[in-house]
Amino acid sequence: MFLFRLRSSRVFSLAVTMVVYAVLILNKAGGLIYQRDFNPGLQKLSSNDYLILAGTFHGVHAITSQISPTNETSSSGLEVLESENFVMRCFQTLTGTKFLIFAEPRQQNLDVVVRRVYELYADYVMKNPFYQIEMPIRSEGFDRHLTSYIKPHQ
Amino acid sequence: MNRDPSPFRTASTASTATSPTPKYANLTASTNLRYSLTRKSIYDRHLNRTKTSELSKSAFAFLFGEMVQYAQKKVYGVQDLEKKLNLHGYAVGQRFLELLLWRDGRTAKRETRILGILQFISHQLYRAIFQKQADTLEKVRENEDEYMISDNDPVVNTYISVPKEMSQLNCGAFIAGIIEAVLDGHCFPAKVTAHTAPNEMWPGRTVFLIKFEPEVLEREALRVGS
Amino acid sequence: MVVYSFFIFDRHCECIYIRQWLNTASATQPLSRPVTASSAATVTTSVAEKPPSGGRLSMAEQAKLVFGVIFSLRNMVKKLCGPEDSFLCYRTGHYKLHYYETLSSLRFVMLTDIRTESLKSSLHQIYVNLYVEYVVKNPLSPVEHAGGEGVNNELFELGIDSFVRTID
Repeated sequence: MFLFRLRSSRVFSLAVTMVVYAVLILNKAGGLIYQRDFNPGLQKLSSNDYLILAGTFHGVHAITSQISPTNETSSSGLEVLESENFVMRCFQTLTGTKFLIFAEPRQQNLDVVVRRVYELYADYVMKNPFYQIEMPIRSEGFDRHLTSYIKPHQ
Repeated sequence: MNRDPSPFRTASTASTATSPTPKYANLTASTNLRYSLTRKSIYDRHLNRTKTSELSKSAFAFLFGEMVQYAQKKVYGVQDLEKKLNLHGYAVGQRFLELLLWRDGRTAKRETRILGILQFISHQLYRAIFQKQADTLEKVRENEDEYMISDNDPVVNTYISVPKEMSQLNCGAFIAGIIEAVLDGHCFPAKVTAHTAPNEMWPGRTVFLIKFEPEVLEREALRVGS
Repeated sequence: MVVYSFFIFDRHCECIYIRQWLNTASATQPLSRPVTASSAATVTTSVAEKPPSGGRLSMAEQAKLVFGVIFSLRNMVKKLCGPEDSFLCYRTGHYKLHYYETLSSLRFVMLTDIRTESLKSSLHQIYVNLYVEYVVKNPLSPVEHAGGEGVNNELFELGIDSFVRTID
């Protein structure tokens, strides 16, 4: 059993150097359905502020796909946002759900993280019969697996 | 299918009337989903064909999830819901026991002792359904008629997070129903319930509590006496 | 590296300079031909005359959207990470937007292709070496650039052109 745990933590957890600040999930209407801080690095906001932030970002994301200067008609919206103190990776699924991962600046493999979070969402949120679609996520299994993936060493 | 007076059918005749070439001629050839191309239904297959085949866990999770959601309709409280899940499992268990014993062929044997039937459940039955054995099999010390089978991570509960207001619920009631049906099938009438009993390593650990009816113990006592 | 367009917004949130470079996909065109003619009276009028090409947004409309985006993202970043943090750039599947804000609330925005590295220092250079030199120090240029007046002078445009070529 101990052996199994060692192996699983190596396969399914992040590299030690990766610091993820927070994970946000937005439903297709721009409503915040999940927000969780993992490491200190971002300001603490009230839940109302987070809702406003999610709504704003939803709008901005739509606009960023419109102002594409290239001739491609179908442009994806914002994917990576960088600031002095953090980098944010946004991944929009084909169904319109957005995953926002906030991490330390200059993280390279955030794509892997976001895919894995999406996978956990598909498993532990969408397959949970007690989850109502588009509603805030209160799934203990999702929380547990997300924590063990993002913060394996605590 | 030709005699079926569906609107689809009338539409096709209308179009053939206007154009001389029957456009929908190939549609009249039966494309019934119930039969495969070889015209064999699921009942024509050999029962052992699916003995070792595997099932997609996701497909099962979605199906089971829908089942739980369906069972949630028209129930009054957690106990009612568990009872419904138990009944669903019971129906599966009845059929599965039959299949299991049929597959055993000549080596199949009817268990007559409590310990024997419990081992049958935690070994053979568990392996046939979940490809693993149940993790422990214990006797409840205080009560003569109670036994516990525990599963560290029940497959049905893998993706299920029970909301706080329903904390009593364990969807393993479905498995409990299967176990109950198998016990009944062996003439060991009992009540089986599923309880969440997490430990540090296994947050989803589930214990199936088996409480035998008094006549089972009576019979067992007679057998030991003889 | 390809630079698509360049915007300056003043502290009144008004767009005072737009510059668009044609896509290098059409190789026959000179790389950095200005769309906003330097002889035009104001940027906004020259932009307004320009019809949206191929059903896409006109530059003036695009400028409004760009400002909306950078304004929201800037506020979002400051809210999330405190007032001392600043928004640098974002990237979509097709382009990258670089942002630089001076202490006087002038905002420089450049849209490039996605392979471009951070242009923070380049935008700073444009501010220091071109904007301050040719616009602020120009005695003929007004203090406020309502409608883009005074920014679109020849020296500044030439400077931008040659600068963009050096970033390439």
